Amino acid sequence: MIEFIAENLAPIMFASLIVFLLLGYPVAFSLAANGLLFFIIGVELAPLSDSINLSWPLLNALPDRFWGVMSNDTLLAIPFFTFMGIVLEKSGMAEDLLDTIGQLFGPIRGGLAYAVIFVGALLAATTGVVAASVIAMGLISLPIMLRYGYDRRVASGVIAASGTLAQIIPPSLVLIVLADQLGRSVGDMYAGALIPGLVLTGLYMGYILLMSFLRRDSMPALPLEARTLGSGVTSLAVALVVAAAFAYGAHVYLYPTHGANADILGATAGVAFIYVVALIDKNFKINAMSRLAQQVIIVLIPPLALIFLVLGTIFLGIATPTEGGAMGAVGALIMAAAKGRLNMEVVRGALTATTRLSAFVLFILIGARVFSLTFYGVNGHIWVEHLLTAMPGGETGFLIAVNLLVFFLAFFLDFFELAFIIVPLLAPAADKLGIDLIWFGVLLGINMQTSFMHPPFGFALFYLRSVAAKVPYLDKITGKNIQPVTTAQIYWGAVPFVCIQILMVGLTIMFPQMVMHYKGTGTAVDPNTIKIEVPGFGAGGGGLGLPADGGGLGLPGGLQLPGGSPLDQKPADQGGAQPQTAPSNDLSQPPSFGSPGAQPQTAPSNDLSQPPSFK
Amino acid sequence: MRALLGFSRLIDTITEFIGKSVSWFILAAVLVSAGNAVIRKIFNMSSNAWLEAQWYLFGAAFMFAAAYTLSQNEHIRIDVVYGQFSRRVQHWIDLFGHVFFLMPFVLLVLYYLFPYVKMSFVSGEVSSSAGGLIIWPAKAILLFGFLLLAFQGVSEIIKKIAIMTGNMEDPTPYVPTHAPLDDALSTEPRP
Repeated sequence: MIEFIAENLAPIMFASLIVFLLLGYPVAFSLAANGLLFFIIGVELAPLSDSINLSWPLLNALPDRFWGVMSNDTLLAIPFFTFMGIVLEKSGMAEDLLDTIGQLFGPIRGGLAYAVIFVGALLAATTGVVAASVIAMGLISLPIMLRYGYDRRVASGVIAASGTLAQIIPPSLVLIVLADQLGRSVGDMYAGALIPGLVLTGLYMGYILLMSFLRRDSMPALPLEARTLGSGVTSLAVALVVAAAFAYGAHVYLYPTHGANADILGATAGVAFIYVVALIDKNFKINAMSRLAQQVIIVLIPPLALIFLVLGTIFLGIATPTEGGAMGAVGALIMAAAKGRLNMEVVRGALTATTRLSAFVLFILIGARVFSLTFYGVNGHIWVEHLLTAMPGGETGFLIAVNLLVFFLAFFLDFFELAFIIVPLLAPAADKLGIDLIWFGVLLGINMQTSFMHPPFGFALFYLRSVAAKVPYLDKITGKNIQPVTTAQIYWGAVPFVCIQILMVGLTIMFPQMVMHYKGTGTAVDPNTIKIEVPGFGAGGGGLGLPADGGGLGLPGGLQLPGGSPLDQKPADQGGAQPQTAPSNDLSQPPSFGSPGAQPQTAPSNDLSQPPSFK
Repeated sequence: MRALLGFSRLIDTITEFIGKSVSWFILAAVLVSAGNAVIRKIFNMSSNAWLEAQWYLFGAAFMFAAAYTLSQNEHIRIDVVYGQFSRRVQHWIDLFGHVFFLMPFVLLVLYYLFPYVKMSFVSGEVSSSAGGLIIWPAKAILLFGFLLLAFQGVSEIIKKIAIMTGNMEDPTPYVPTHAPLDDALSTEPRP
């Protein structure tokens, strides 16, 4: 009996983890407690089984593992993007966008639904916070949709789904966490996720288009009296042509001096020009443009500028994703201030919420590091790897199985839990099968997005429920009595979008090129990140030579890795989990940026940080 | 019991003050990080000390706020099953968790963190990056964060027992995060 337990400690540990988590005590501490309990059992049973490599001194590795979590530059992006999202929410940007874009698209059939998807994607590209988007759309667009007789299921489904776009369109928290857990660069992950994110947005719109033909009365066009900004689409079109012409002129003018960058600079000049024109037009009441055109331009440009500030600087290699987040946060503060919506209360509230989220997320990671110390010590990773690589159908079979697993786990786990507990177990197996980890990460990202829409526990549905009418109410404009949105309608509304999500996972498996193009753009980010981190390397002296110096101690290089997390804990490392090796810590930074196609300088550092099986 | 509750209130006051104050570190980290990027681009200069300062700040923010987050009952749970239990059972689960999950973990980590930080302090450990910061204060952040968490754990146990024995109102009633969507649900079949 005891021998049986000793031989199968990994599966038993995993099963008991499920029990521990389902008990409902906070995840962070349940993970840690499970790890420690099985550490003790493992040490006691170690003589009985070859597959257990645990001994008391190994616990000395814990401080270094936590230190790795704390000194991780990538994870800094989490508070930055969260803070940015909350400030933006308070700045009222979402409300302005929804109002104006709704006016623009409203008069066509299904127009409000397109506006919601469009604004959802735009919000997603400025921040990575689902709750903010869903709540804003539920408060602003849903009542209008109900007023003009949209089908409730379509209306609530499209709002919940568009809100979750924040999960997959960069800069999203999920992608940061996945990049960290998979040991890849966040910049590459963003570049890889961009096209699938846009395709997904297109699929949502395609669904609305299809529905507008199949069930014409489910999404009527807005009547003309709903257009408080009046018409004037022609004026907008003219303004766009002028802006494009100006941009092209600037491009031609700048090309000789700035080369390839002239594209972006020219576009920026065109956008800035039309923005200034619209502002002048409005403030001096020249009114050369229609009011609609003015409003669309004035509302749309600041978010676009913010997107450029964050994603543009990351993709051009001016800033690391972490710094991009910080600049976005500053940009959001400036935008909120410009709208007169920034005050002490807003900043304090945003900071408090950000700190709370950071504390619980980082503590889940700390708990996961304790768990993985034991789980890898009982060869749990080998057990999972055998389980997964034995899947019939090779690469595709593996991907389908993994995606099914994540899809079902997403019914009751959040993406943080999935990313910190499940993903590190899947990654080595995926790598062994030769699956590109960025592609794998994007697939998981799209899949985990469903965890927000799954009835009955999806967060997006929960947020929408909190703002959708629960009792009948009198509409102020039409004076009609409006029936509430039932929970069943919210659930059923989400179902088609969950199906679209599954379709998208399938498409991404079939067409990896959508993701793989990151290898082309990746180089734009790399040189820069290397430039920042290299000083640390040289002075450490240990950079490339570490295996030699650390040899005597058993080189726990992997122990300090911030990003590599549990993957780094190989049995071979166990001898020397001494704190003395801490100075080598800085080595752990570059790998989190080193893309698979990185230059030679970063390659050696990858060796130290990535576990052997990961190469 | 009254003395214990007083002790618990003292701990709560301290961790709340610290937890709220450190959230400003996030704003500082944002400004430092954005400043780093801008200065590097414009003046082509980069300082490892400032690069490290950003995660020192963030580290302090999340480590020191963990105790306050615990007292606010904000560490996330998987409450698919937990949400179905009666409040009384939930109290028992919490108490069990505090005593057998949280405290052993935190105390064990503290046991290992003391020598870890002391060694760093005694050896005057400095970041291996050129011009980097001294390391021991950052390591002390870990130690201090776990120390706060240990005290908060004691306070939570005291409060939990007081609530269960009827000596105290429940300050952080359970708010479902994963629970079925609404109150109207009882009248409505779930799809």
